[in-house]
Amino acid sequence: MSGVLVTGATTPIGEALVWRLAREQRERRILAVGIEPPERAPAFPENVTYASADLSRSRDLRRLLFGPARDLALDAVVHTAFHRSAAHGEAGHRLNVEATRELLHLCDRHPTIRRFVLRSFAEVYRTDAHEPVVIDEEQPLDLSPHAPAWIRDRVEADLVACTRMGMSPLHIVVLRAAECVAPGVGSQLHDYLQPRVCLTPLGFDPMLHLLSIPDLVRALALAVETPRQGVFNVPGKDILPLSAAIRAQGRIALGVPGPMLSPLYALRRAARGGAEFRYDLNKIRLHFGAVLDGERARSALGFVPEHALVWPV
Amino acid sequence: MSAPVDPHEYDPFGMSRAGVRLGRAIAHPMYARWFRVQAYGRDHLPARGAAIVVANHAGTLPFDAAMLWRDLLEVPREAPPRFVVDHFVPNLPFVGTFFARTGAVVGNRPTFHRLLSNGELVVVFPEGTAGIGKPFRERYHIAQWRVGHAELAIRHGVPVIPAAIIGSEEQMPAIAKLPLRVFGAPYLPLPVTPLPLPVHYAIHYGAPISFASRFRPEEGDDPRAVDAAANETRAAVERLIADGLRQRRGIFR
Repeated sequence: MSGVLVTGATTPIGEALVWRLAREQRERRILAVGIEPPERAPAFPENVTYASADLSRSRDLRRLLFGPARDLALDAVVHTAFHRSAAHGEAGHRLNVEATRELLHLCDRHPTIRRFVLRSFAEVYRTDAHEPVVIDEEQPLDLSPHAPAWIRDRVEADLVACTRMGMSPLHIVVLRAAECVAPGVGSQLHDYLQPRVCLTPLGFDPMLHLLSIPDLVRALALAVETPRQGVFNVPGKDILPLSAAIRAQGRIALGVPGPMLSPLYALRRAARGGAEFRYDLNKIRLHFGAVLDGERARSALGFVPEHALVWPV
Repeated sequence: MSAPVDPHEYDPFGMSRAGVRLGRAIAHPMYARWFRVQAYGRDHLPARGAAIVVANHAGTLPFDAAMLWRDLLEVPREAPPRFVVDHFVPNLPFVGTFFARTGAVVGNRPTFHRLLSNGELVVVFPEGTAGIGKPFRERYHIAQWRVGHAELAIRHGVPVIPAAIIGSEEQMPAIAKLPLRVFGAPYLPLPVTPLPLPVHYAIHYGAPISFASRFRPEEGDDPRAVDAAANETRAAVERLIADGLRQRRGIFR
């Protein structure tokens, strides 16, 4: 392995991945990419080069791939850059979907890049009363017209990568990761668990599957090396009901009739500006369980989750 | 703070030991005192390995499922039985959660497949909602017989244990099915009595039916093979019902 480009390198997940890849092989060249200017980027080991780029701008992408990425003769891309804010809209769509599409197109004809790893999300799966609670990679995706754009963008980005498998000269791996509950990674559940009182739909206590940053980073590092191409669930170590997660976090669960939750959380958002938790994005998962089947990742990538979350998150 | 979450407390479907204990405590007075359930042929159930139990289903509210579940806890197996429930059940507040804690799962092919691969005992009512809502005059007549259990039994080469539940079909005559779709349920039943009648329950288990020697796993895709297998399980349940009705002394004794 000669070199890896990591997008989203200034997020907690990207940064941990860069450190891990750099430590694994000292001779490996790594190009860490973030939107922050170099002076505000985190410190990285010496085999890491930092490049600042706005991936939603086509010009920046071209400059990056056919500039430093080619000079360093990188052969793999790990794309972890996603809009962390749920305040979606055009900007979110440009980064979450269009940048992924364009990045893939450019990598297709890149002189040195041969592998592409996409960090995708378990949220792409459709879950409801009818669908299996334990989800393998064959589960239907959430393309329903009621799905919020935040979900549909994730589904589209996932499919953009999936449809190119076998058609493109690239070796493509898509990792559908369980929710990484940590600060600063755009986790809706993390924000949900911050207030003292967590409102839950009365009478529902669905199973959640949670992933720690070290486990996700290890799965991404394994995906960079794997000879297999395909879609893989990335399960976490923690499988627990919503009520147990709230208890582990030291919060109080308060059951409220389901239909009242949407206005209550809308009020809360309005009352305190920066609150990121949006009930409409999480309504289904607060009612119906979703647990990933990690068998494919285990047999093909050799990935088994090892690090449980440390509560409170 | 360390991790206070016990990773073995819940299985991925949401079943917990505590939930099973609670379910047992709730079902037991009904099982022992109200319905005075008697079981025959429980030794037909395997102590280990995957198997499917199929039974008749009736009685307006699923007390028959609760009694069969409670009775199957008497089988010395490692894990409690897994009941396959209708798609609207997870929509029901409290009930859906409680059922999940006791091991119920929504019936769909991937889940069924997963449970059988794990070597679990899966319980199915092939009559489904048509069974539990059948009119009183049609008691002990099979309302419909879905074939999914036969397909999966063939595909996985697992035995099917037929069972007849006697008593349940008289427990709670209904006056009407109100056309209210509350939480996605197909209708709201209106029983004659607020509580089920104290009928005497008998559960008759039959000899396991094995398809493994007669069908290849691929024949799970062959509709004729599946229908033939399902007819066999249906006939076995009907025979057990007829024998059970002949043997009983009365509805309440």
